[in-house]
Order: sequence, then C-alpha cells, then structure tokens
Amino acid sequence: MNNQLRHLTHIFLILLVAQVGALKAQNVVDLSGTWKFQTDVMDFRRGSLSPRYNHELQETIQLPGITDDYQIGYKVPYKYIDRLTRKYEYMGPAWYQRDIEIPAAWKGKKIFMYFERTHWLSSIYVDTKEVSQIDYISVPHNHDLTEFVKPGKTHRITVCIDNRYQYKTHKWNHAHTEFTQINWNGILGEMKLMAIDPVFVEDLQVYPNIANNSIKVRLQVNNDTKKQVKGKANFTITGPNYNLKSEIAVVSNDSVTFVESTIPLGKNVKLWDEFNPNLYQITAQLNTSDGKTNYQHAKSDTFGMREVKQGKSHVLLNNRPIHLRGNVENAVFPKTGYAPVDDASWERIMLLMKDYGLNHLRFHSWCPPKAAFRMADKHGIYFEVEMPMWGKDAEPDEDRYNFFRREIKAILKEYGNHPSFVLYCNGNEITGNFDFIEELTAEGRKLDSRHLFSGSTARTRVKSDQYYVSQQTNKGPVKVYEGLPNTDWDRSTESDVDVPVISHESGQRCVYPNFEEIKKYANSPVEARNFEVFKDLLQKNGMLDQANDFFRASGALTVLEYKAVIEALLRSSKSAGFQLLSINDFPGQGYAPVGILDPFWDSKGLVTPEKFKEFCGPTVALLRYEKSAYFNNETFTGKAEVYNYSNAVLKNAKLKWWLTDETGKVLQKGNLKTQTIGNDGVFPVGEFAIPLKGVANKQKLTVHVSVNDQIKNSWDIWVYPPHQNLMQSTNQVLYTTVYDDAAKKQLAQGKTVVLYPSPNQVKGRKSVFHNHFWNPIMFAWPPMTIGSLIHHKQGMFNDFSTSYHTDWQWWDILNNAKVIEMQNAPEKLRPFIQIIDSYDNNQKLGIGFEAKMNGGKLLVLALDTEKDMDKRPATQQLLYSIDNYVKSNRFAPEVQVEESFIQSFLTK
Amino acid sequence: MKWRIALSLGMLASQVLHAQEIILDKKASLAQVYLPVVESEQLLSMNDLNVEFGYVLYQTEIVTQTENEALELENVRNYAAVYVDGKLQGTLTDNRKKMAIKTEPGKYLLQIYVENIGRITYGPEITDNSKGLFGGITLDGNEIENWKMLPLNVRKFPVKNLQFDVNLSDENPGFYKGTFRLDAVENTYLDISGWGMGEVWINGKYLGSYWEEEKQRSILIPTEDLAKGENEIVVFELKQPQQKTMKLSQTPVFK
Repeated sequence: MNNQLRHLTHIFLILLVAQVGALKAQNVVDLSGTWKFQTDVMDFRRGSLSPRYNHELQETIQLPGITDDYQIGYKVPYKYIDRLTRKYEYMGPAWYQRDIEIPAAWKGKKIFMYFERTHWLSSIYVDTKEVSQIDYISVPHNHDLTEFVKPGKTHRITVCIDNRYQYKTHKWNHAHTEFTQINWNGILGEMKLMAIDPVFVEDLQVYPNIANNSIKVRLQVNNDTKKQVKGKANFTITGPNYNLKSEIAVVSNDSVTFVESTIPLGKNVKLWDEFNPNLYQITAQLNTSDGKTNYQHAKSDTFGMREVKQGKSHVLLNNRPIHLRGNVENAVFPKTGYAPVDDASWERIMLLMKDYGLNHLRFHSWCPPKAAFRMADKHGIYFEVEMPMWGKDAEPDEDRYNFFRREIKAILKEYGNHPSFVLYCNGNEITGNFDFIEELTAEGRKLDSRHLFSGSTARTRVKSDQYYVSQQTNKGPVKVYEGLPNTDWDRSTESDVDVPVISHESGQRCVYPNFEEIKKYANSPVEARNFEVFKDLLQKNGMLDQANDFFRASGALTVLEYKAVIEALLRSSKSAGFQLLSINDFPGQGYAPVGILDPFWDSKGLVTPEKFKEFCGPTVALLRYEKSAYFNNETFTGKAEVYNYSNAVLKNAKLKWWLTDETGKVLQKGNLKTQTIGNDGVFPVGEFAIPLKGVANKQKLTVHVSVNDQIKNSWDIWVYPPHQNLMQSTNQVLYTTVYDDAAKKQLAQGKTVVLYPSPNQVKGRKSVFHNHFWNPIMFAWPPMTIGSLIHHKQGMFNDFSTSYHTDWQWWDILNNAKVIEMQNAPEKLRPFIQIIDSYDNNQKLGIGFEAKMNGGKLLVLALDTEKDMDKRPATQQLLYSIDNYVKSNRFAPEVQVEESFIQSFLTK
Repeated sequence: MKWRIALSLGMLASQVLHAQEIILDKKASLAQVYLPVVESEQLLSMNDLNVEFGYVLYQTEIVTQTENEALELENVRNYAAVYVDGKLQGTLTDNRKKMAIKTEPGKYLLQIYVENIGRITYGPEITDNSKGLFGGITLDGNEIENWKMLPLNVRKFPVKNLQFDVNLSDENPGFYKGTFRLDAVENTYLDISGWGMGEVWINGKYLGSYWEEEKQRSILIPTEDLAKGENEIVVFELKQPQQKTMKLSQTPVFK
C-alpha cells in the first residue's frame, strides 16, 4: 500500500465514523449552551400587556445551570442563623429563550423537548403561543411539541421555569426546600430536542420473576399514525457474559397498546443484591409498518433480577431477610445548591455508604434523579424514596391531592425498573386525611409489585402498609437517639408488629460547628454565615481559641453515641433496620451539625470508616454487658452476639475475646466455642467473664471480640479501686459544701478550700451526659449543652484516666452534677470540667474549676457526693484524684476570682 | 371454581373460630397507681412534674354558675379526657382545646387525665417539647387555679399487684381484667375496636397501646406471650368505661 492510498483510507474511515455519529445524532439536538434569559419579578404572564415571550430576551445564561450560578436574584444581606444563607435568592418565573431550527428531516416524526430535571413548573412557548406545561418535581419533563413546530422552520422557543411553590406543600419538603438544597430555578442534566417515529415505545417496564428466571416485559406502544400498524418488538438482553434475544409480534390499532412478553432468561442469569449487584441491559427495538411506511424506535433500560417481599420482621430480598443500615438523605448539596444529576457525584455517595458499612438510603420527602438510582444499582444500595409530602400535606386540598396522584405514578414509571428502588413511602410525618394516604398506598401496590409501600413515616398506620418507618409502634419506642453505659437492651419487642419496622431518624446528636468549614463555601450558592455569627459570639465571649476543642470533644461524643445507637439497633433481631439522621450534617431546620461528615459529605476527621465499620457493617460482633464502670473487685460479664446479614453463613467461626490496656497490651484472653453462625439474623454465641481483681492498675481497659480474626469490635470499660473516707479535711485543705465563714477564714489564711455544693444548692443548668438532640436552635430544650471538654492534662486528672472528651465512665459524674454559668468569671478562668454551650449562646459553663480567691486556693466541684456512692466508682475515683491534687504542691491556681462570683451561683 | 369457594369457606370458619370474644369483667381502681401528688396554684407541665412520658391526672374543684360553661385549655399535649364528678364529659387535643361543661350550677370535681406516651399527634411546626397541660385553663373565661397533679404509674406498675374489686358500673378510668382460653398458640391480633385509649398486658407482660383515632385497630400478640389454656388480659382504659369486651383476630385489623 502506498502512502497516498493509506492516507485516503484514513480519510474514508474518518468520514465513515463521522457519518455514523451524524446519523445517530440527527434525531437529537442538544440544547445545552447559551440561552437568552430574563428574570421576571412582575409575573409577565399575569401582569404584563406585552409578555416577554413576544420579544427577544436581552440577557444570556448558560444551561444546564441555575440562576444562582450567575448571581441572579436578590443579593441576600442577612446572616440566617437557622440555616445556610443563599447568596442570591430567586423565586419566581424566569424566562429562557432560543431560536431553534427544526431539522427538515423530522417531518412526520414526533418531536419532544426534554429536560432531565427542573424546578418546578416548566412551560414552553413556541413563537408566542404557550403549548405545554409540566409540573412534575421528581421526574424529567418531556414536552410533546409535535403539533406546534414545523420541520424545516426556525421557531423561537421560550421556556418559562417557575420555582414558586406550585401547590400548598410543606415548605420543608426536600424536593423543593430552600433549606438543604435550595429552591433553585434552572434546568439541569440532559436537555435536548428529540425526534422519534410516531409508533414508539412510550414505556418499558421489566418485572423479574426469580422463581423461574424470567422477566415479564410490559411495553406501552404509542401509535400516533391513526392507522393499524403491525410488526415486532425485538428484545436484546445483555450483561457480563450474557446475551439473549427474543421477539414478540406487535399489532396496534389504537393510539395506546400494551404489549406483554414473558422472557425466560435461563439458569445463567444472576440475581441482584447488595453483595452481587448484577445488572442487565434490556433494549426493546420496535419495528412496525402500516403497509406503506416503516416505523422504528428503541428504548433501553437497566434492570436487576431481584424480588422484594414483606417478611415477618424484615424486608425480604430474593426471599432472604435483609437488614437495612441506612442514612437519611435530605437533599444536602451545598456545593451546587441542587442534587447533582451526574453519575460521578452519586457514585461518591454510594461508595461512602459502603465505606461506612451502610446499605440503605432514605430520601426524605424527595426522590433523587436517575443518576442516583444508576449508581445504587451498580453498588448495591437499597433506596427508600418519597414524594414531597410532609406535615399537613394530607389535609384536604384537591389540587394538591391530584399533584400527588400524578407524582406517585410518574416516580414508579420513571424509576420502577431500578433494582435499588426497594421501598416507596409517600412522605414524612404526614398528618391529615389518612383515607387519602391509604388511597395512594393501595394505588402504588396495585401499580407496581417491585417495591414495598408504606403510607407515612412516623405517623398513623394504614391498611396497605407493607413496612413502617417510625419512632414508635403500638408496642413502644423503636427509635434510638442516645446510647447507655450498658448494652443489654434492644428494640426487638417494640418492633414486633404486623409489618417490618425500620427505626426512624435515629441518632441526631449535635456536634459543635467546625468553623474551618466556613471557607468551603467560597464557590457555593450558599454560605455558612450562621457559623460566622457563632464564631463572632465565641470570640466576644473570650473562647475562640477553644472552638476546635469544642468541635473535637462534642464530635467524639457523637461518635460514641452513634456506636451505641447503631449497636442497639443491630441487637434488635426483630427490627428491619434503621435510618441514621445522619452521617452528614443537615444544614436547615436550625442547622443540625449531627454528622460525622460535613454537608459536603467530607469527613470531619472524627472517626475513620474502618473504625465505623467495626460497629456498622454486614457482620458485626456485639456484646451485651451490664455497665461500663467497675470496681476492681467486680467481674465483667459479656454476652457475645454476632449480627450477620452478610452473604454467607460463618462456618466453624473462631470466636475470640481479649482485654487490653491503653497501651494495647493484652491482659486477658480467651475463646468462645467454635461454632457455625447463621446468616440473616442476630445470633448469641456465648458468654465470658473476666474477674477484674488485679487485672491492671490502669483504669481504662478495652474488651475486644473477634470472629475469624476478620470481624472485630471493642468496648471500653473502666475499672477503679473502691475508696473510703474520701474528702477528709486537713489543716491545709478544707472540704465544705457551703461557702461560709469557715471557708472564708481558710482562704484568708492562704490555705485551700474545696467547695462541693450539692447540685440543688447551685444555680445553673442541668448536667447531662448526652450532647443536644438535633440542634439547639430548632429545639431550644434545656439544658442546651453540647457535651463536655475535659482539660485532661491538668493535675486534678492525674489519677483519673480520661480523654479530652467525655466517655461512658463520665456517666455517673455528669448525671449527678450541676452546670455552673461562668460567663461572668474572669476570661482566663477555664473550668477543668468545661461544658460546651449551645453555639448560638456560647457562654462559659463548667462543673469544676480552680481559682485563687481572697489569698487562698479554691477548687469548686458542683457534684453530688452522697447519693449511692457505692455504685459510682468513677465519681469516687475522680474525688480521689482531686484529693491527691489539692493536697499536693501541684495545686497552684493562677486565675483570681472575686467572692461575688462564687456567691452568684450558690443559692442562698 | 369449586375449590376456591371451599377455600374461602374454610378461611371463614377458621376466622370465626379465632374471632374469640374476651369478656373483661373485673375492674381495678386507678388510685392504686397514683404517684405522690404535687399541688400548685398554676398548672405544671409534665416536664415540670419530672414526668418524661405517661399519664398525669390534673384535678381541682370548680364551681359552675350556668348549665353550660366553656372549658378552655391553652395547651394539650397530647390528649386529655375530661371528667366531672366521675363522668366523662369529652376529650381534648392540641387541635381541639375547648369544650362545654354541662351541669346543674354547683360545685364539682374536675379531673383531666392527660396522656403523653410519645404518640405524635402534631406536626413538625411544634418545636417545644413541653408535655401535659400548661399555660392556663379557663371556665367561662375565668382562670381555674389550685391544681392537684397526680402522675399515674401506668406503664411500670406490676399489673399482678392490682386489686380488682371495683364495681364495673364505676365510670372512672381504670384497669379491666379478663381471661381467655386458647387450644393452640400462634400469632394473634388483639382487636381493640370499641375501646378509646389505653394500654394492654397479656399474662402480666406489657403488650402495647391503642387509640381509637388511629386507623390501626389491633395489636400483635407474639406467640411467646401466649399460653395454651388460660390467658389473662389487663387493659388500662382512659375514656370508654362502658366497653367490656375485646376480640382476637387472625389478621391485622384496620379501620
């Protein structure tokens, strides 16, 4: 071959490739790019004599995108305290315009204008005439323009996107909220003009039957020819190492014909589940003819071979009980202001779910775009999706009811084939007319057998419920908001009702904000101006240097609470699962920084995924025990269980336990009986006892349990010697519960006073172990505290083992103390047991502090030292540690306080 | 088609078999579960009474001057049954906080039994967590004062220690007891249709709660809670003293 010829061949090949591309593309015109644009604050359609669609718009915008991307709208001057602040608010109609030439070759075809996701009403004007309106919020808008455009002609297409509330739905619904994602105006994802033959597949639904390895395919064939057409539908089913073809005759006399075909897939087809998310593609190629003209259309989708059924206590997937370890997803996307529509963004979230041992996402009062389902299909995540329905949305309102009646059908049609679409629920915490809720639920069950249906989370049950997500059942509470220092409890009895029960919005423990996050919003449509306010307040109150400590200490507490919460729900063998609220922060409703990830789904650095997975994953070692703090003459008894919802029975599982000290040194160890542990359940595997006498002189010990050396989990316990005759006054050190003349005299002599008033003699706040529920702005419930910061390196803790944060050994201390309001104390005074105030108040709080006063040395501890002391080993040890400290020369307080401060918090 | 008819007849027969009626023919007074009384001029919420959840009896004396006087509560969390001289006058919720007291003019004992067992009866707009009664209560516009507040230890009281000796015609809230026999033990639903609001124990073990305003009319009794032969049921009922029977059902019951 000479050079010239080779060159020509190349050119020919390039032309060929280009031509194939053009052939494929010629039925689609991509609409992304520059559009003319106009905002609309006066509602032109209703208010203008010369509406804008009659004119050429004067500004431009890039689509896909939202108005926020171009700083369009009201520049918000405020610092919203209860949420992120949108930088530019826009709510109203907005106009988008483009002159589009309809290809002449499209004559005789159906012509659609397709927007993958918009918000919320889209209207299309062809030249000056309004021709189509769609107001779905959960699915694409596909406008049929066939009758209104002329192939070969250039039309002025004006699109009005109206993001005002189209119905009286609850403002918090995450489908259209301003508070997590924003109530954006724009068009996202694919936007295109499409031409298809007038005999086409309008809908393709695939119903797997795993009993006989077949699928039932249901086609809706639309025929706009007004003639009889005949032909075939050819099905191609492909997957890894799998290819199958099948065909069925199609005859259509009407505008709409349904065609059903059962296709055996053979024994090589593989089931879909979280462990083996096997997917198949199906294409239905429709070839028909009316005798004169041939029509072709193809539609494809992805499906998985899986069936979902209602079990006694669990959701059954392929006839096996699954346990849902879930996260509540609330459309939290501050980076973009909208839920992404691309695969990469959603793949990241699904992989995060896997990293943290979760297998489930509940989309609270919204339904995500297709990319979310695609990535959940791919990675094996089970979805619960909802309509924008919350609160009073079921109170009678026919317009709103009809919107919901359309929306449920649209969701089932658009996303029904996705194997990840396991659960459907109408919405969250609904009140109103439950006959309407029952109507929707029954309708859903009738329409689509591939999902389980439920009326409402956490409210009235209805007859058609196939599962129930709730805080409680008629048997009692099933939510778990906080842990306990003992673990021999669960929520099984309370979960035992007529349908599988999923624990609703468990967790919700508030972490102090991480002000470092402020800078992450530079390129976002929203800003954490609330954080700026909180930060300024902390600075004003003289504690800005402690911001990071508050964040880390409260964050550590949230992590240990979530471990306890999740383990309690894993121990609940009759529970169908849980939905944690949430692994990531919720930036609305007062702003709830309850996550171990920030609103960008980035780790806050509080716990590694590996550590989290020890207590949240398909197989978890669990331990039931009576308490976390012991005297050293007691025995620790643990009842081990294995939660196994993995893919396999654990045959001849080796079970080990061991006890380590803080350095990791093994102090004791043993084995439980080697045994085969079942799958799809929670299995007791044996007990072990560790006499604590003489195990160590270290206080903090860790009990570990492992299964086959692979699955490991551990629990910290604290062991203390019993103490008698604590708090004995000496000549140098006076212990007193009252600030009286004796105390004053002692100080005046330059000696030491330990003032330990009974908590009921102290003004101040209730002391609690747990950090605040959800957030202190939405729920301003006393005591409005977010955990404790322990100044653990200071001398009073020399003989009391503690970290900078509170752990379960602090239980009996914090539950018997009082929190002193210390904002009026000198700025330099920092309590050694410091309580973290609500971040919108940021006052200095403490349970114990030391100071110089009136020439002497003072240590104050607002702690009960009388009640049940024989059951409070940690309190005893803390008092012992403090006693050693105040009687040593290490006790040298630096900050001077006035007597008036002491009197300010003591009751008279 | 014949087999199908036979099947449904069979199902009908077994349902009839299991739709066993339980007669609750013994009553125990509520006074047995009174916790120490708190007296106060003003109403105290359950939170102020250190009652996390459960029931509190708010009690005082009223004087009516006409035959029809409006009783109005400022806050009801979550549900209240109003009794005058031991007779039910009606129920109130946070959405319905006003009712008429119809009596001959005179002096009466007003008893308001307030329930908060964590049942959610209001929307997400309500963000304070005060429970019980708080704010004011007026009778024909006049503030009612001097309250006795009696937390009721309903959930934790060992039902085996209850003394069932109250006359069944007594119309105050109370505990009711009955027995039923089972030839075979299997998952069964307790059909509470006709009852108002309350809680149930089977063989001394707590079973669950019910409320007539829910669509759900049954509580699952797990097999392990039932015994072959005689079984005992205890019901705490707040507002339907005339109700004397419950039924067992094989399937869940919904309105």
